Amino acid sequence: MDLAFLDFVRGPLLKFALIVFFFGIAYRVVRVIMWGVPKNRAKPKGNPAVSALKTPFLKPFREITFKDVISKRAIQYIGGFTFHITFLLLVFFIPQHSFLWTEVLGIKLPYFSSTISNILAYGALLSVLALWLNRFTSPVLRLLTGANEHIANFLITLTILSGIVATQWVGGGTYITALGIHMLFADLLIIYIPFSRLAHFIDYFFSTGFYGRSIGILGVRE
Amino acid sequence: MESIYDLLKKKGYSRRDFLKLSAALTAALSLSPEMVPKVAHALETKPKPVVIWLEYQDCAGCSESFIRSTNILPTEVLLDVIDLEYHETLMAPAGEFAEASKEEAMKKYKGQYILVVEGSIPTGNPGYCTVAGKTALDQLKEAAEGAAAIMAVGSCASWSGIPGANPNPTGAVSVQEALPDKQVINVPGCPPIGDVIVAVIAEYLILGKIPKLDEMGRPISYYGQTIHDRCYRRPFYNSGQFAKSFDDEGAKNGHCLYKMGCKGPVTRNACSTIRWNGGLSFPIQSGHPCFGCAEPDFWDRGHIYTPLSVVSSGIGGKEIGTAIAVGAAAGAAVKWITNIGKKGGA
Repeated sequence: MDLAFLDFVRGPLLKFALIVFFFGIAYRVVRVIMWGVPKNRAKPKGNPAVSALKTPFLKPFREITFKDVISKRAIQYIGGFTFHITFLLLVFFIPQHSFLWTEVLGIKLPYFSSTISNILAYGALLSVLALWLNRFTSPVLRLLTGANEHIANFLITLTILSGIVATQWVGGGTYITALGIHMLFADLLIIYIPFSRLAHFIDYFFSTGFYGRSIGILGVRE
Repeated sequence: MESIYDLLKKKGYSRRDFLKLSAALTAALSLSPEMVPKVAHALETKPKPVVIWLEYQDCAGCSESFIRSTNILPTEVLLDVIDLEYHETLMAPAGEFAEASKEEAMKKYKGQYILVVEGSIPTGNPGYCTVAGKTALDQLKEAAEGAAAIMAVGSCASWSGIPGANPNPTGAVSVQEALPDKQVINVPGCPPIGDVIVAVIAEYLILGKIPKLDEMGRPISYYGQTIHDRCYRRPFYNSGQFAKSFDDEGAKNGHCLYKMGCKGPVTRNACSTIRWNGGLSFPIQSGHPCFGCAEPDFWDRGHIYTPLSVVSSGIGGKEIGTAIAVGAAAGAAVKWITNIGKKGGA
């Protein structure tokens, strides 16, 4: 029975999830692009195009000072960087995922050993838990947090945790059940991404690019 | 009736050989070392087990595997120590004589014999596997009635196997499906390991009860772990070293076969511990990925040579391209409709 469940979640459900994901992302991107940009007849004081292209990559590092990071937003910065880097590497560069993306995208990706994969997995798990907890303890974040963030954190946490449980904590037939649960949460997460704020992995480039264009028009120095 | 010890003595085996066999059996049955005297005592005193072996939709590969059991009992003794009263492929009598022999054995050893079934049971047409006017299902029910224990040997008997694969033209069912009111010991595999078949029979003889089974009727001693758990190539899996084809450097160096489609991580069997042909080898050791023959529906599952983590039914550029195109078109359409709405409202 556990194998039949695994067959379902890594077969029809995974295929459905990937199709929904690409459909949803394409829909979202087109909607954002078709919003367009407001007309501005004034001559730009800076270079909007260059600013729009470089801002997405510079913004995360802007205004980082030791005092700011440690005293005010340590969890956000350290946890945020740790989570985004480790989760991205996990998604694409552990062997099992690399083989999947090779099939889906047709691009051969390199992959890590299980030791590095484990370090990444624990790093991602601990950082997402820290970030989630921070949403409860920080008064500002608490106001900004809604069901969307909780659902996203819930799915991400359980996907990573079940992956760790499957590959590290259980053996024998239990592995098959744990792997099935991991795949189920991964499928749900893939489906959820385009319809949630997790789509910021695409939206981020548009929003920060738009912001970069705006400050480029105004000639603001970065 | 003679015990196994009596038979071994007749064959010229010494007391030391007998005790060695007892110790080997104790280990094979996953019993503690203190059980060796009990096992020896059982082999000395209990009459050899009577086995009636029925074959339905099968290839006789399980019988081949059974008679090549080597680890637990030497091949030449195997057919003597187990009182194989009926086996269509191996027995000397044929036709009416064979059927008479079966009837006689079933009457004589009623409530004592172990019924071993190889192959799936056809239910789609009463003509399939009918012998002397009796359908396969009727023959099985009749034999199961007087059996002390019922074993389904092989994936066909355990899960309906290849005969039951889509579109299942014969209406093949497993032994458990054919006998829903009976406890069936499933010993799956295509074929199962011969030593495991013998060990399960021996365990019943020695302990007088069927082995501890999982929720799918498999003895936990042999099917409690996956092949991947004890695979000698596991360190390569852990270090991310995979063979990418059957003849690349990785394959020559014995790297993990996961990328070649190995289903060892999701297949419960003892191939990587007991192995085959006297512990000589098993498929992965011979360079071929496990394709999960001991698990249900392995044939329908297919994708023998694709990694376990990829979409089993396959997904490629065409499906993804279509999804992106439809998503983009939907986005543009919604924007267009919204604009019309705004203009209309204005």
